[in-house]
Amino acid sequence: MLGTVLDLLARLNGWVFATLVEPACYALGLMDLVEDGHQWLDFAILGLVQLVVAWLVCRPLEAWRPVERWADRRAVRTDIVYALINRIGLLPLLAFVLLAGLQAQWEAFLTAQDLLPPTLEQLVPALRERPALAFLAYVVVLDFFEYWRHRAQHGFGWWWALHSIHHAQQQMTFWTDDRNHVLDDVLAAAWFGAIALLIGVPPGQFPLIILLLRLVESLSHANVRLSFGWLGERLLVSPRFHRLHHGELSAGEHGANYAVLLPVWDWLFRTGDWRRDRFPPTGDPEAPPALVRGGWLRQQGAGLRRMVAALRERH
Amino acid sequence: MRRLRLAVPAFLALAIPQGPARADLIYVLNSGESNVTVIDSVTRTEFRRIPVLREPHHLMMTPNGRELMIADSAANEMLYVNPDTAEVLRRERISNPYHLGYSPDGRYFVVNSLRRGQVDIYNAADMALLARIPTPTQPSHMAFSPDSKRVFVTLQGTRGLIAIDLDERKALWTVDVGPQPAGVIWHNNRLLVGVMGGDYVSVVNPAEQRVERTITTARGSHTVWPSSDGHTIYATSRVDSAITLLDAETLAVKGRWDMPGGPDDMAVAPDGKLWVTLRWSARVAIVDPATGQYELIRVGRSPHGILVHPTPAAQPVATADPLVVPVVHTPEPPAPEPKAEVLPAAATPTNAALVAPTLMASAHAAEMPLPLAEPATTLLAAAHPAGGRPWWRRLSWR
Repeated sequence: MLGTVLDLLARLNGWVFATLVEPACYALGLMDLVEDGHQWLDFAILGLVQLVVAWLVCRPLEAWRPVERWADRRAVRTDIVYALINRIGLLPLLAFVLLAGLQAQWEAFLTAQDLLPPTLEQLVPALRERPALAFLAYVVVLDFFEYWRHRAQHGFGWWWALHSIHHAQQQMTFWTDDRNHVLDDVLAAAWFGAIALLIGVPPGQFPLIILLLRLVESLSHANVRLSFGWLGERLLVSPRFHRLHHGELSAGEHGANYAVLLPVWDWLFRTGDWRRDRFPPTGDPEAPPALVRGGWLRQQGAGLRRMVAALRERH
Repeated sequence: MRRLRLAVPAFLALAIPQGPARADLIYVLNSGESNVTVIDSVTRTEFRRIPVLREPHHLMMTPNGRELMIADSAANEMLYVNPDTAEVLRRERISNPYHLGYSPDGRYFVVNSLRRGQVDIYNAADMALLARIPTPTQPSHMAFSPDSKRVFVTLQGTRGLIAIDLDERKALWTVDVGPQPAGVIWHNNRLLVGVMGGDYVSVVNPAEQRVERTITTARGSHTVWPSSDGHTIYATSRVDSAITLLDAETLAVKGRWDMPGGPDDMAVAPDGKLWVTLRWSARVAIVDPATGQYELIRVGRSPHGILVHPTPAAQPVATADPLVVPVVHTPEPPAPEPKAEVLPAAATPTNAALVAPTLMASAHAAEMPLPLAEPATTLLAAAHPAGGRPWWRRLSWR
C-alpha cells in the first residue's frame, strides 16, 4: 500500500519533472542542476500532500470538538495564505540545495585532510540493516535540535520579534503552523538543513522526516479539545500540549512546552506543563493589531520593524 | 501443521525438475531511495533489495569478475557484493565514489567525486591512494585509453573533457566538448561524449585534442553504450526521452526509440536485450533491439546505474561505463585482453600527441571553500547578550 502510494508520487514527480522542470533547465543551460531540481519537486509535491493530509485529519477533528468557535474566520484565512506559500517547499529546498553544495565542499576540504565524516549508521552499525530504525534515530536527533531552535526563538529579543507573528494568532487552527515571518522561515530552514546535512540524513528520508514533523505540527495547532492522556502526552506533542505553549500567558516568561514532536525534551529540560485539563485562549497580549489582524504583507512588515527595533534596543 | 507447511516447499523443490537456464541478476541502483533493486531476469521480479546508506550511482564488476562493486557516493563507501547471490560481502571506506573504473591493464583504480570536484587515482593492487586531482566542477563519467596511460573525465559543471596522465598523475589537457557533458566512451580511437546541455554526441580526437564533429541525437544527450554485436552505439537523451541508434562504424544515425521517463544508464544482457534505467519514472525498460519494443519493471526512485550479471563476454566491465578493452573474468592479476571483435577499431592511440598544457590542480586549489560552520557560529556568537542570561536559560525575550 505504502509502496504503491510512494510509487504514484514518484511517477507524478517524474511526469511533472519531464514535462516542465527538465525542459526549463535545458532551455536555461542548467542541466548540471537537474538532479537538484528533481529533489526540489519532491518537496513541492510532498508539501501539497502534507496540506491535503493535514486537512483530511485535522478539519474533521476541529469540527468534532473545537476549543473555540468564531463567527468571523478572517484571521484563519490569513494562515491559509501562509500555508500555501510555505508548503510548496521553496524554503527547505533552498536550504537543502544550497547547503548540499556547501556540504560537498566542506567534505572535499575534510577529504583533503584525510578525514571522511562518518554517517550515523557507520557510527552505530546496528542501524545499517534497519532503515526504519535509522529513520527514527534521525527524527529524534533533528527534533532535539528543533526544540532548541524553538527555545532560541523565544530567548533572543530580535528573534522573538519575528516569532511573535506566530504567537499573535487568537484563532489558532492547524493552518497556524505555517504562520511565520519569512525571515524566521529562512532561519528555521537553514538551521534544520544544516543539522540534517551535518548528521548526514539520507536524501530519500529528508522529505519524509519533514512530512512527519509537519503533520504532527499541524495537528498540534489544531483547534480541537484533544489530549493524549498521561502517557501519550509524554510521547507525542498533542493539541492540548501545544495550546498551552500558545496560551496568552505563555508568550513571555511563563513560556512552556517548546517541543515540536517529542515532549521528552520539555521533560528533560524542565519546560513542560503537563496539566491536561487546560485549553487556554491563544495569542500574545502584547502583540500590536497588525500582527493579530493584519494580512500577510502587513504582518511581514510589522515583524521586520519589530525585529529592527529589538536589535536597536540591545545597543 | 507447521511441520507440514515446511515440508511442502521442500518436497516441491525435489519434485520439480530444475530448469536448465539460470536467471541473470540485474542490479539497479536507486539513487533517490538509498537501495539497490536486484531483479531476476527470468521471472522479471525483485529478487532482493540491498539497503545502502546514501546515494548509489554507479557500479561495476571487479576485473576478476568475482565481486560486484557498488559505489555509495554520499556515504563514502564501496560495497562488495557476491554477484551470484546479491549478498554483501564487505564494505570499504572510500572518498565519495560517484563514477569508477579500472584501467585496462588493471594497475589503477580511478574514482570521480562529482560533488567534490576530485579525481582519485588508486593503486588497484592495494587500493592505496596515489593521487587526488582537483578538477573544475562535477567530474562525472570516465573512459580510459586502451594503453592505460590516460583517463578521460567529463566535467559536468563546465563544458570540458579533461585528460589525466595515470603514470604522471596530472592533468594533461582539457577540450571544450559542449555544455554539461556526461557519459564518455572510447571508440575507434575517438572519444564519444554525451552532451547533456545539448542535443548531440561530441566526437573527440584525443591525439589532436579537439572535437572532430558532433552527431545530433536528441536533447539532453547523456550516455553512450555499445550493443552486444558491436554494430550499434546506443545514445540516451534524458530531455527528449529517447535512445538514438548510431552505426558503430560510421556513427551515422540509423534509428531512434522514444522512451518516456528519462533513459539514463544501460546494460546489455546475454540475450542481447538492452536494460535501461528510466531516471524520472522509477522504472527500468527492457528493450528488444530487433524491434525497439520494450517492457517496464518498477524499481526504486531515481534509478541510475545498472548491471547485468553475468556480464556477457562481449560487454566491457572495466568501468561503470564501457571502454574499449574489456577485462572479462580474467584470473588475477588482471591483465589486458583486447577483444577486437567487439569493438574492432580499438587501438592504442598516438601517445606522442598527448601533451600537458594545463595546471588545473593548482588553479582549483585556490577555490577551496571554507568549512560549513556559518549558521552555528552565527547563533553562538549572539548567545550571551549584554547583561542577560544566556538564551538557553531564558524563557522570555525581555
